[in-house]
Amino acid sequence: MSAAPRRSPLPERAREEDRVLLRRYHQGGDTGAREQLIQRHLPLVRSLARRYAGRGEALEDIEQVGAIGLIKAIDRFELERDVSLATYATPNVVGEIKRHFRDKGWAIRVPRALQELNASMSGAIERLTGKLGRSPSIAEIADELKTSPEEVLEAMEVGSAYSTVSLSSGPGGEEELDPLETIGDEDVEFERSEHRAALEPALGRLAPREREILRMRFEEGLPQTQIAQRIGLSQMHVSRLIRKSLSVMREELLRVPPGMSP
Amino acid sequence: MGHQERIDLDAPLSGDFQAVVRLIIGGIAERVDFAFEEIDDLQLAVERLLAEAGQVGSVHLSFEVGESSIRTRVGPISERAIADALRDGEVQPGHLTLRRILQTVVDSFGVEESADGRVVVRLEKLKGVP
Repeated sequence: MSAAPRRSPLPERAREEDRVLLRRYHQGGDTGAREQLIQRHLPLVRSLARRYAGRGEALEDIEQVGAIGLIKAIDRFELERDVSLATYATPNVVGEIKRHFRDKGWAIRVPRALQELNASMSGAIERLTGKLGRSPSIAEIADELKTSPEEVLEAMEVGSAYSTVSLSSGPGGEEELDPLETIGDEDVEFERSEHRAALEPALGRLAPREREILRMRFEEGLPQTQIAQRIGLSQMHVSRLIRKSLSVMREELLRVPPGMSP
Repeated sequence: MGHQERIDLDAPLSGDFQAVVRLIIGGIAERVDFAFEEIDDLQLAVERLLAEAGQVGSVHLSFEVGESSIRTRVGPISERAIADALRDGEVQPGHLTLRRILQTVVDSFGVEESADGRVVVRLEKLKGVP
């Protein structure tokens, strides 16, 4: 006689808590519940992101892309579904990560040697910054990595390339315009040109860490090296986050009708 | 400061070519022995200006390379809002504007009018200025 399979009470409880939060968000518009759901499932995103590490892309970047998939899954979840959020979110997260790699085309376009050089550059820059007490030159980085300045520049560019997909996809659902769809619309751009100069209304669409990095860079005037130390990231990663954040904010301004705060 | 060498570039405004522009700026700045962070600053300044200039057509960029500086000109650009944004007075604390970004990442900048009423943005980046 075989015993009936028993479900562990812990996942069951977590699943029920998820459903309570999903109801609060979808039926009551409780964005705090949405934030809690994101936080609860970030370990899942990290776990899935790790599968795609070592392909020339910083793990933190992959995690951020995966988080977009998670947010979309939370926003699109239908309460009538008899499925856990984790089960529903997994293909969304993996799909978002795969799309990211496909969009960048690294697997086919960037030589492996360049991806590896990019991956080792971050450590070299940190070492040299510590040793020299300043940001190193390209020649110094090349010397440290025993390669040419041209290859370092190419590897830098590999690291700077990023997806323009918004980091802060909102809860607008299927009908929400993709930020990319608005780019290139001349009339819209012309009408909104006066708004372009002021990016700060879109700050709210960034994650707290990105907001803090922008504040340190553009308000405190701290160099990237110091920001990297404070936040605990590499200088290259800080650079990427600044670029990405500014692009996201600009896309957000083009997406939101003039006169409306995001 | 004397600028001996000059490089001119006409680049499409389409985002597809931003990486090419960044690579060229990196190559030029490396010749002046700019630090990694200084190169990144100059690339960011140009990238933000190009983003504001739109996505259609092309833009002219010129780089005057001195012993320890690079003077970059971006334009003529039809988008006069950029000029207005850069000419405004002091940026209020807590506000993140194009002017604030350029103030942070380059040593000086200015707006020049072209004969046809369009604008050229001039950026000056010096080596070794904290």
